[in-house]
Amino acid sequence: MIRVFHLNKSYNYPDMVLKDVSFEVKRGEFVYLSGPSGAGKTTLFRLLFADLSPDSGQIVVNGIDVSRARVKSIARLRRRMGIVFQDYKLIPSYTVFDNVALALEVTGYPRSRIQKTVWKVLKTVGIERQINRFPPQLSGGEQQRVAIARALVNSPDLILADEPTGNLDYEIADEIMQIFNTINERGTTVVMVTHNRSLLQRFKKKVFYLDRGQLQAYVWPDAC
Amino acid sequence: MIRKPSYIYPLLKLTANNIRRHPVINLISISIIAVAMLLLSLYFLAYNNASRIVSAWRSDLRVIVYLDDDIAADRLAELKNYCRDLDEVVSLEYVSREQALENFRKTLDEDEDFLKDLPENPLPASLELVLDAEVSSLGDVEHLARQLERQVGVAEVVYGSRWLRHLFSLLRVVKYFGFLFAAFLSLMTVFIVASTIRLSLFSRREIIRVLHLVGASRWFVAMPYLLEGIFQGTLASLLALGLAYGGFLSFRDWLHAQVPQWPIAASLKFFSPVFIVVFLCLGTGLGIAGFLLSSRWNFRD
Ligand SMILES: Nc1ncnc2c1ncn2[C@@H]1O[C@H](COP(=O)(O)OP(=O)(O)OP(=O)(O)O)[C@@H](O)[C@H]1O
Ligand SMILES: [Mg+2]
Repeated sequence: MIRVFHLNKSYNYPDMVLKDVSFEVKRGEFVYLSGPSGAGKTTLFRLLFADLSPDSGQIVVNGIDVSRARVKSIARLRRRMGIVFQDYKLIPSYTVFDNVALALEVTGYPRSRIQKTVWKVLKTVGIERQINRFPPQLSGGEQQRVAIARALVNSPDLILADEPTGNLDYEIADEIMQIFNTINERGTTVVMVTHNRSLLQRFKKKVFYLDRGQLQAYVWPDAC
Repeated sequence: MIRKPSYIYPLLKLTANNIRRHPVINLISISIIAVAMLLLSLYFLAYNNASRIVSAWRSDLRVIVYLDDDIAADRLAELKNYCRDLDEVVSLEYVSREQALENFRKTLDEDEDFLKDLPENPLPASLELVLDAEVSSLGDVEHLARQLERQVGVAEVVYGSRWLRHLFSLLRVVKYFGFLFAAFLSLMTVFIVASTIRLSLFSRREIIRVLHLVGASRWFVAMPYLLEGIFQGTLASLLALGLAYGGFLSFRDWLHAQVPQWPIAASLKFFSPVFIVVFLCLGTGLGIAGFLLSSRWNFRD
């Protein structure tokens, strides 16, 4: 599903944020990308959906060479994945419903079914009561769940989530993890960025550990 | 079940949102475009009516070629052919001496008695040439007249209505000036539309970023701005037409009240339905052009 070869990335050359990063995520896997703050997790994450372009190296997602693909195929790729951003990226002037519906609307999803689909996913993440509110009227955790709902609404093949439980309390974080687990069992590949150790311990998955831009050979959480 | 993708509603929603977010800017932009389009439509209205009324007097654009009294029949036939072959001549009528007298008699009415005292018919035969209305410059007509005067069998060439010819040249100048004027106003409209769209794009860059991130195609992102341009152009030209129609009606009534005996007020016409459609399309087209210009500024990546 995802293959990364010898990836290098700097914002201000020669300060390398990522150094010779290579890894592979197979279809249907659930992996963590972990590491200390400032290690380059978000940078790597953004490279995966071509929001940034690498200095060198290759990124192949779903068979598409992301750094060489045209705008058109990048857009098509993004429509088939669900992305949860660390800073949510919700539209403040849109209601919760409209924010989530937007991800369907860009795919040309039949209008008659949007209402039902959005309602269902909002109920799944437990935010359906806030459906007509605007993001600034929501708490951080509520906004985070709207962002998760938007990533899930398309039933994507691949979910990329940057700290999706960062602002959630213990119980809701567990609920969200259960949701990710469920859709992973149905065949969706999940890549989740987190530095939350207790989460790694409670939901054991393969972990890619990133430290100062270098990817350690993947380890199981017991070893970290 | 596979259904046709439905993009129309979300695109209209985005467009409406964009316009609603900046009602004042849109209002100002539409007003300025409407004023430009109003000027354009008033100009066309004036030009159309003036040229229609003046064209009705086109029959006065005649050149009369008086012939020698002793002209031979075959020379006359040659002369007729010569005139017919001239590019400027639309039609030709031969008026014999007898007919000239007859016409003259008709214009005299009761006074025709005095003609009986004449020993013989004093009027010459003539060829009456009707010229193409495009031949409106005085210089061209003078040149033609001199050319005709040199022909054997021609006694004199007379061309009337100097002022009418001046009017035609004036109309032509007005027409070309109008093209420039229209081009200028169109350009202005395109720039106004482009600027408002640019402003709209700038204030919506967060939303545009999110749209790109959730995988909106480029045309999906751009379409609301195209629709905004079309909205502005079409609404403004509708507004301009409405105002022009109001202005036209009151001008006609005013003219009729000022000079009731003058039939011109009644003969003034508003645009034909075809012209109205073309004008609306022009407004829409200018809106689209505005979008294209702003997208040259903005969507390059
Ligand atoms: N747009 C940017 N321009 C310049 N430097 C940047 C930019 N974004 C990130 N960086 C730098 O790159 C490094 C890695 O940042 P990144 O956001 O990838 O870290 P992270 O692992 O996601 O951290 P966190 O866990 O705090 O989210 C940091 O040193 C950061 O300062
Ligand atoms: Mg980060």
